[in-house]
Amino acid sequence: MRIGSAISWVYVAALFAFVFAPIVTSMVFSFNSDRFPTVPLGEFTTHWYETAFSRPEVWTAFRNSLIVAASAAVFSTALGFATAYTDFRYGFRFKNAYLALALLPPTIPLVILGLAMLAWLARLGLSGTLPGIIIAHTVMGAPFAMAICRLRLQQMDSALEAAAWNLGASPWRAMRTVVIPFCAPAIISAYCLTAAVSFDEFIVAWFVSGLNKTVPVMILEILQGNVDPQINAIGTVVFLTSMTLVILAQLLILRKTSS
Amino acid sequence: MTNMTPLVTFKDVKKSFGAFKAVKELNLEIGRGEFVAIMGPSGCGKTTTLRMLAGLEAPSSGTITIDGQEMNDVPVHDRDTPLVWQSLALFPFLNVTENVEFGLKMRGVAPDERRTRALQWLDRMGLKGFENRRIDELSGGQRQRVALARSLVTEPQMLLLDEPLSALDAHLVIRMQGVLTKLQKELGITFVYVTHSQSEAFAMADRVVIMGQGEIAQIGKPQEIFRAPQNRFVAEFVGRNNILEGVVHGDIITIDGSDFALPGAPDGPVEIVVAADRMQIHATAPTDAAIAAEFVSEEFAGTGIICYFEGEGGEELKAQVTESQLATLQPEPGKMFWLSWAPDAAHVIAG
Repeated sequence: MRIGSAISWVYVAALFAFVFAPIVTSMVFSFNSDRFPTVPLGEFTTHWYETAFSRPEVWTAFRNSLIVAASAAVFSTALGFATAYTDFRYGFRFKNAYLALALLPPTIPLVILGLAMLAWLARLGLSGTLPGIIIAHTVMGAPFAMAICRLRLQQMDSALEAAAWNLGASPWRAMRTVVIPFCAPAIISAYCLTAAVSFDEFIVAWFVSGLNKTVPVMILEILQGNVDPQINAIGTVVFLTSMTLVILAQLLILRKTSS
Repeated sequence: MTNMTPLVTFKDVKKSFGAFKAVKELNLEIGRGEFVAIMGPSGCGKTTTLRMLAGLEAPSSGTITIDGQEMNDVPVHDRDTPLVWQSLALFPFLNVTENVEFGLKMRGVAPDERRTRALQWLDRMGLKGFENRRIDELSGGQRQRVALARSLVTEPQMLLLDEPLSALDAHLVIRMQGVLTKLQKELGITFVYVTHSQSEAFAMADRVVIMGQGEIAQIGKPQEIFRAPQNRFVAEFVGRNNILEGVVHGDIITIDGSDFALPGAPDGPVEIVVAADRMQIHATAPTDAAIAAEFVSEEFAGTGIICYFEGEGGEELKAQVTESQLATLQPEPGKMFWLSWAPDAAHVIAG
């Protein structure tokens, strides 16, 4: 029993090491003074962070990414919640088709989605603009938000909302005072997760961003020029941002299911 | 019951869900200050009836009036018909006081006043000291009382209850029955109580409405329904009844070849009901008429022991006895006994 559990711990550790080794390597080299990623390591330095963040285009890219992620997450979460609520509250014909349609976007190859978005947004005159990227990322994030909200609504006693009406709350008020507070952990977690999806997303952003580059698109452009440890520095910041959002989302999901 | 105009009137109310007729032509009046239990097996339309009263379902046809006002087009949140839910449906993200305050908040009562009124009700329900607890920190009985306080804090003239005790342990059910009857008497408001449990309905209600397959099978006081079921459905649903078939000629009914007195019954074949607790068991054949029956088994019920017999015609017979009576009779499966009853214990059912 003891040996068995020791082996399983080693296995888990090995698995995590395998998954995180590249990221940790990138983080380690972001603080390494050598120009090229070689062992033994040089001295500790924050030089690459300083140079990277002294470039105005890096700041612009981060600003773009933040605006896009924050806005797309709002729209994705709102759409996802509304879709999940419709599923929870109403029975109607073709409901399965409706749900399948709502969950469709993640099954479309990103290259196809990117091309389609570019063609469509260009017609609307939105390609190359931040609203264009926001629209694209909303489409990509909404299914995730819906899945999370749906999970939470499934735990809700359907009498809860009716109880609010019965005590004098109009349908809108019941939504505000009962359904949304009940779903709050899921809504926040959906927001964090869709923000992370948008913040990391490269392929579709690459198609539609034009001159308003987001961070992943900018990273690729720097990489096309030369191998530069600044990428490691930028990558570390991106990774930490996304991880924070994802961990926050996970914590909220875990807490809501345990209570 | 009062002699004033009824508080609630159902007039020719029907409700269908697609092809399924949940309620067929319901006509019912509920008085002010009355404790009415609507009872029946699952799917009989009792919950649908309650939900129509609360406005959670709209009647397919017919009208429901409350306090003289036609309610068909009044939305749920504009009605004064608080409901105690089977699941209780307490808000898990609010504490005890906030739950109780909810209805007052929706009605726009000022924060100070609603807090005072909520605390008064919590005190009244014996929940002092639990004001700031979370709902999941309460026991089943405490949650029940929070649900009652939440519904009653707005001082409604009617309270609807949908099987509120079904999730409680047996000993708590009895205690909550006491709480509910006392509360109803003190407040003097109407209680409409839906249940499938005969003991709950008979223990608390002034009047019991028995429903079967979307229709009212009988309305009456618990005693009336118990002693004088109007039809076979009610007689069987109420249980602990013997339903006997016989032929009447001149105030005498012949059952299994024995003649029993049955004053006032019309001649011809009829069905009569004799309650199990009015059935007498004889170890030897009595001089008066009796049905010979073979002992089958016994069952310990809360109020006594039910003995089951099989008559010569194969019919099942039940008689309720005390423990000491059982000891004297010493029944064994297969042993013969004779069953009889006083003439006034027999009741003719219509059909």
